[in-house]
Amino acid sequence: MAALGGALVVFLAGLVAWLGVRALGDVLAPPGTTAAERVPFTGGVPPTTHAWSRYHARYYTMALLFLAFDMEMVFMYPWAVVFVDEGIKALVEMLMFIAILLLGILYAWREGALEWA
Amino acid sequence: MVRGWLASLAAGAPPRVFLLEGADPPAPACLLGQNGAVEVVDAPRSATLLVVAGVLPDALLDAARLIHDQVGRPRCTVQWTHPRAPAPPVAAFPVTCTVTGSVDDLVASLIRLQADLVRGALTSEAPILPDVEPAPWRGVGPYGQGGTGMTGGVPYGRPLAETAADRDGLKLDQLAITVGPFFPPFPTGLALELRLQGDLVQHATVHPNPFQVRSLPSSDESGDEAERERDDPFGTALDRPVAIARLEMARARHHLLHLARTLRLHGLDALGRRAMSLRAGLRPGAVAPLCDLRQLLERTRGLAIGTTGAGHLAEATVRNRGLGPIARASGLAEDERVEDPAYTALGFVPVTHDGGDACARWRQRLAEAIQSVQLAARAGEARSGGAGRVEAPRGPLTRESSATASALVLLPSLLEGMEWGDAVATVVSLDLDLRDLPPASTASAGQPTAAVVAA
Repeated sequence: MAALGGALVVFLAGLVAWLGVRALGDVLAPPGTTAAERVPFTGGVPPTTHAWSRYHARYYTMALLFLAFDMEMVFMYPWAVVFVDEGIKALVEMLMFIAILLLGILYAWREGALEWA
Repeated sequence: MVRGWLASLAAGAPPRVFLLEGADPPAPACLLGQNGAVEVVDAPRSATLLVVAGVLPDALLDAARLIHDQVGRPRCTVQWTHPRAPAPPVAAFPVTCTVTGSVDDLVASLIRLQADLVRGALTSEAPILPDVEPAPWRGVGPYGQGGTGMTGGVPYGRPLAETAADRDGLKLDQLAITVGPFFPPFPTGLALELRLQGDLVQHATVHPNPFQVRSLPSSDESGDEAERERDDPFGTALDRPVAIARLEMARARHHLLHLARTLRLHGLDALGRRAMSLRAGLRPGAVAPLCDLRQLLERTRGLAIGTTGAGHLAEATVRNRGLGPIARASGLAEDERVEDPAYTALGFVPVTHDGGDACARWRQRLAEAIQSVQLAARAGEARSGGAGRVEAPRGPLTRESSATASALVLLPSLLEGMEWGDAVATVVSLDLDLRDLPPASTASAGQPTAAVVAA
């Protein structure tokens, strides 16, 4: 309960600090209010279309690769526990497992999945 | 009290300046931020002072007015004009102060103005444009939401992006924006109309050139010949011979200025300041500091990583287009100086690089700067020019054509398919100057520049 109370205090302190800094910023440097100040700067020409647009988030393949290798690490924890008992056999099995995953990442690399855009 | 203390701190900070460069600025705009006394920023919102360098053509005034209103408050505008040709007042544009003089004079004025502004001794300039949205947001809710479509209408008169096929065949939104004419990394006046998907450039069009009159003085222009030769040796060499030492030192200084701009674009500001400092102290024959800089750039790899593969131009694409260092960076030994007996007597052989990308182009320019410093030391009293054609730092220059005109033709097709970061690096690597375009290739309003230049 005491730990929960401490977390609540930290949360409230963070909230007050955030609101305080925002309020102070608004007092010292009021945000832009004119129409021209609300226009995004791209070199002096106002945009003709709205900025809300859907585009291909190519990096989603990187996210999937990250998840795959993240899960691989999860398998390594129980393996590490039995490694001492099982010995070289466990090591070889894990190397085979990693080698198969490595083939996957090489394939993804060849297919251009690691290109950001 | 707190406000007063913060104001005194802000008054002592380096002035933050956004630069609008027009025709005939008193000095290259890059010189302004080189000693650290002034910070040249990349967005008007980050600035307090707006500096209008030279004369703004009418076609750029609308953009300049919008940028003026986007400069952070309190703000003021400084017009920086050439002592020889003071710029006329800019129409419907508030100017708090006019400076006629060197960069040092300007810096001193900027420091004083910023201190006055933040202490309240000087009133902030009022916005020029009316505070109205281009169109109302036609939604039904209190914040414009509701109705049909994703936003429930047309937000402030700006329709949502249209869809188009992307490179994977998916139908996704295509964002149409105009970048320029005062986008800091781009040459002043260059505006690109772009269609982007994510950060991929799908289509690019160059806006008409806003500079209607070429900065190059005409051959019959009266004035002090010595001053003209000092300020514009290559323009002068079109009409009469000019000392090779002067031409080559001007070429080396030009290339170092461009290198500094490239380094700043890639976030290597300290190296950029070093290049500018070398430029200021450049002497004929003193190649050691330039070779040290080259070695440092090669060793740190920062610039090479950011530019390798960007904006590749094959030999066949650039051949016989009059592109000077751009062509030489693609492996072609095209150089007007090869035909000049004065240069052949000095043993001149063009430097070339392979690669043809942005990386090869900065390497080419740095190698040419080193070669020019060597040539200047060997040239003695030798002179060159007067034939109506000269190899300027950007490439072959005549009264009818310039390298910028040739490079602009290639630009739209070069940018298509590039990521935005590479596209900016490519534009910078071409070293364009729209004020350098001859009158024949100056487009009229509504006419694409590329088509006109190609004609």
